[in-house]
Amino acid sequence: MKDRQPTGTGEHAAPDRSDDRWNDKYPYLGTAPIPIEPYISREYFTLERERIFRKVWLNVGRIERIPNPGDYIVVALPVCRTSVVVVRGKDGYLHAFHNMCSHRGNKIVWDHKGSCQNFTCKFHGWSYGLDGRLTFIPDEQGFCGLQKDKLGLTPVAVDTWAGFIFIHLDPHPTETLRAYLAEVVPGLEGYPFPELSATRFCWRTEIKANWKIAQDAFQEGYHLPVRHKATAAGAFTSGTNPHCHFLSLDLYERHRRTSSYGNLNYQPTPVAGRAYQFGSSVVVDRDITLDNLPAGVNPTRRSDWSIDTFWIFPNFSIFPSNGTYLTHQFWPITEERTIWETHTYFPKAENAGQKFSQEYSKVLLRDILMEDGTTLEHMQDVLASGAKTHMPLQHQEICVRHAYRVVEDYVGFYAGR
Amino acid sequence: MTESGWPAAFRTLQPFLGWALATEAERTQKRQTSEMADIQAFYNAMLSHLEDILVYLNQFPLEHMPPHARQLMDMTFSLAEIAPAVELFGQPREDDTFDPFRFVPQHQ
Ligand code: FES
Ligand SMILES: [Fe+2]
Repeated sequence: MKDRQPTGTGEHAAPDRSDDRWNDKYPYLGTAPIPIEPYISREYFTLERERIFRKVWLNVGRIERIPNPGDYIVVALPVCRTSVVVVRGKDGYLHAFHNMCSHRGNKIVWDHKGSCQNFTCKFHGWSYGLDGRLTFIPDEQGFCGLQKDKLGLTPVAVDTWAGFIFIHLDPHPTETLRAYLAEVVPGLEGYPFPELSATRFCWRTEIKANWKIAQDAFQEGYHLPVRHKATAAGAFTSGTNPHCHFLSLDLYERHRRTSSYGNLNYQPTPVAGRAYQFGSSVVVDRDITLDNLPAGVNPTRRSDWSIDTFWIFPNFSIFPSNGTYLTHQFWPITEERTIWETHTYFPKAENAGQKFSQEYSKVLLRDILMEDGTTLEHMQDVLASGAKTHMPLQHQEICVRHAYRVVEDYVGFYAGR
Repeated sequence: MTESGWPAAFRTLQPFLGWALATEAERTQKRQTSEMADIQAFYNAMLSHLEDILVYLNQFPLEHMPPHARQLMDMTFSLAEIAPAVELFGQPREDDTFDPFRFVPQHQ
């Protein structure tokens, strides 16, 4: 149990207006409004499918979900019109396949998670090993000239980094996962993912919005004092930083990272206060010991800090904080429908007090996310009206601008126009 | 202690046993379908004992919680569930926010 008194020490002056003019730091991105078309166009969406989602590494979860041989998860990838099974083989290694029978194409696994010795199709009973090899065909002699050794499940590349499982629909990707993540790996090196991943909470919803509209809403703090006035504004803004300016940010070739401010003078509500007293919480920790955090998280080492974000192209983000982290995944279905999945992770709770603290933290997070959800659908509802063609963005929205640029560099929609 | 093991100090909480719900989905359902007056009454009753409840519960290993302690712990989770309603919104569901039943917990 921690004793927490507001110390009021360690708060820095307001972020200087001149040192967070992020557009000046990245002049190659320009300052022009960005087009709305990529958020509404079916043609753009089709190009994203072919040129992004089929061509890069995609996060599909964490290794804690499949610790033992035979454990599997099933990941729907509607953007690529497929479903992927990730399984731990008898050899202890991960294998991944399209979830599709080699006979007449039935989906092999129908649930989301489980454990098995082999995969048997529920249509005619073809059976496959955990390594995807076809092992049994009922009434096999009825088939003419079947090449059984060529009829395994169709493989998908799979690899892990820091316990995060990534797949690549190309079974022989030209770029390794390590190389793909090289820009963000140093920043997260040493963050205690294994310890903090012991307790997993996850919510899932389908929203009527383009996947980039949804993701963009988490890439800027500009909306926070308005949209999250009732929930998060007190902890993430203050008189000295009223508009939730970032403490630091770095834009990379494909990925990016940010550090967010936390108000050290924030007075928690009565229940939040008890949650802090008995455990940990994502909301600003006034007793934070930065020594617990690797150098790449909160790299400016400011004490008035709350949470970092690492944006991993195209649709995955990790928000490391002190003693807890969360992730978002945005899985496109169509140009205006998206599966949004949020995970929040905590260490193993040792007692009821810690469980209560985690429960409060996750419920508060959920209610904050509820404030975001509505805006996304209202935006999508009118974006296609044609009333506007572009969106102006300010310094604090530079991650939205960067995200647009990275997607467009892959898609090339405007390249020939 | 009463026969059920329920500590006498928390006897005033027994009328609120309807909040001893095991999953987030059930607790959300209860919050979203309750009158604010009932939510506030539960909040008031729980908050005044919260520190003592958590100290009391911390003596039990999580894997071997007696049934009454499990109920009390689930009630603290319900308090966490309704805390934003009382402390931040003044109503079960904030105006102009996402349908809570569409944001589906994949955990228990
Ligand atoms: S489709 Fe799978 S066995 Fe026929
Ligand atoms: Fe938000």
